[in-house]
Amino acid sequence: MKRERIKELVSLIHEISPKDRKIKIMNVCGSHEHTITYSGMRSLMPENIELIPGPGCPVCVCSESDVINAIRLSQRDDTILVTYGDMLRVPTKEGSIRSSGRNYKMVSAPHEVLKIAKENPEKNVVFFSIGFETTTAPTAALIEMGLPENVTILTSQKLTPEIMEVLVKDEEVGVDAFIAPGHVSAIVGANAWRIFPEEYGIPTVVAGFEPDNLLLAILRILYQLREGRAELENVYRGVVRPEGNVKAQELMYKYFEKADVNWRGIGLIPKSGLEFRKEYDNINAKKVFNLPEIKEEKVKGCICDKIVLGKAYPNECKLFGKVCTPSNPKGPCMVSMEGACNIWYRFGR
Amino acid sequence: MKVEIGHGSGGKLTKELIDRVFLKYFDFPELKSLQDATVLPVEGEKIGITTDSYVIRPLFFPGGNIGKLSICGTINDLTVSGNVPLYVSVGFIIEEGTDFEILEKIAESMAETAVKSNVKIVAGDTKVVERGKCDGVYINTTGVGKNVRNLSPLNAREGDVVIVTGFIGDHGIAISLAREEFDVETGVLSDCAPLNSLLVPLFEIPTLRWMRDPTRGGLATVLIEFSESSGLGVKLYEDKIPVREEVRFVCDMLGYDPLYLANEGKAVIVVGREDAEKTLEILKSHELGKNAEIIGEVTGDGSVQLITSIGGVRRLELLEEDPLPRIC
Repeated sequence: MKRERIKELVSLIHEISPKDRKIKIMNVCGSHEHTITYSGMRSLMPENIELIPGPGCPVCVCSESDVINAIRLSQRDDTILVTYGDMLRVPTKEGSIRSSGRNYKMVSAPHEVLKIAKENPEKNVVFFSIGFETTTAPTAALIEMGLPENVTILTSQKLTPEIMEVLVKDEEVGVDAFIAPGHVSAIVGANAWRIFPEEYGIPTVVAGFEPDNLLLAILRILYQLREGRAELENVYRGVVRPEGNVKAQELMYKYFEKADVNWRGIGLIPKSGLEFRKEYDNINAKKVFNLPEIKEEKVKGCICDKIVLGKAYPNECKLFGKVCTPSNPKGPCMVSMEGACNIWYRFGR
Repeated sequence: MKVEIGHGSGGKLTKELIDRVFLKYFDFPELKSLQDATVLPVEGEKIGITTDSYVIRPLFFPGGNIGKLSICGTINDLTVSGNVPLYVSVGFIIEEGTDFEILEKIAESMAETAVKSNVKIVAGDTKVVERGKCDGVYINTTGVGKNVRNLSPLNAREGDVVIVTGFIGDHGIAISLAREEFDVETGVLSDCAPLNSLLVPLFEIPTLRWMRDPTRGGLATVLIEFSESSGLGVKLYEDKIPVREEVRFVCDMLGYDPLYLANEGKAVIVVGREDAEKTLEILKSHELGKNAEIIGEVTGDGSVQLITSIGGVRRLELLEEDPLPRIC
């Protein structure tokens, strides 16, 4: 049944795809890129349709300065650094948390920090909270529960709509349409993407993670392009509401506010991240430990910056699969399972 | 009782270790001489020989242990290379402080697996190393078998079919979860099993070209190696490849691809199309082969391509490393 539906969607995509020009459809979510690569979806597309991975991996864009500060914190005898598994191997000029750090623990969800704090009352426990809106909300919820006295938070939280706006303005990228991320949309709401069709004339469709749902999103995009429309559509309605999770948003903005933050390989982008509001300096690790901003250094030959922005595919990098592999990543996109290079390495193209 | 350094001395304690643990279970007359070498009769003109060392962590896992694995692995290597396994030697490297009870459990399951598979343990060695120098026990086994068929990737031809004898990925997932690094429980057991009773009957199939047991690197890796050795290609159909629901679920969660996960009781078989049904029939009549499937065909294009469940194409490439180290 599902197979037939997929066949029908693919044949419709071929039927209505405009034949006279190239079309670039960008996804901004590691899980979307995973589905596209794992299912071999690119091989089913008409030749002129490109499915490009954009900035969908929060680990990859986490600023080098934040990672180095995390490494340095973990080197202190009185401190335990706690973060997500993917962050442990992110390379920097000072090594990675795993290779150069000393006291660190991995968690899969923020609430696990509480247990670590309880078991180590004499230590400073610093939670290195990174990610897009999907991880910011649970971090805010953790703070709301009441942090133990020995816990502070090093934030490197990024906002998805803001980076997409940067992409839209970049002519080198030349995005024709967006597939908006299902998980992030569940928090921020489908309406958060309205600005793209309405102000920039770019069709945008919110999609889930099953292949048929993504194909449907691509089809809806092609219909819009054929008819010269640019609208916001949502084909993941079971999960994503127009307004999103209002409670989670309120909680996020209770503790955090928009700030200019550094994206690795891209640079400072105005209002593209979240930092603690001033009144929470006491749990803000950047303030408590007086952490410096460290200048970023790129690995020679690494084109992660271009890959994150959808200007190059992973296999266009000279390091890809040769000196840069998941066990020995040179650039951030090879580290995380959501990074485009890592996905392409594991599942081919 | 615990293993002490003295148990590796070659003296009285060593004899005690051998008598109390290994000879108690390895009840093979050929072994009893306890000389430096065992003399064996070998029928026929050619013998097959293989050796393999086992360093799996943890020693005991759902569906098996390092001992059972060390016998199965060697039996399977002999069998897929066209040999009827006959004799196995066993070498143990044991960490000081290991419980005799653990060694007994390991030896017992080795003997049980060997007897069940009509294979004799005919030579052995034990060494003890200081605490912290190895993870409990490492085992090396060498196997000798009577060679019956010459199987090689070079025998394969375009149009041959590719068969797998059952669900893939069980061993990899069972080991991964047994390490308790992830907070997940499934009922998945390692498929660790001796395959000679399943596969030796296939030696009668005229167009049997090649077999491999897809251990480290999994199904994808052995087929890529097949493709490189033969100069041919393989087209695989994702929908036809048997993968348990639970295995698929854990793979999705942890980012593994079942095609690259280790198996310890499966074989990949390339056989002429004319004998495909007959081969499948023989496999399916055996408990270990009841879920066998034709999963693809040999092509002329020199690469391994997966036709995905949505009909897309994904080219399978060698991974630089196993996603899970120390699985056998």
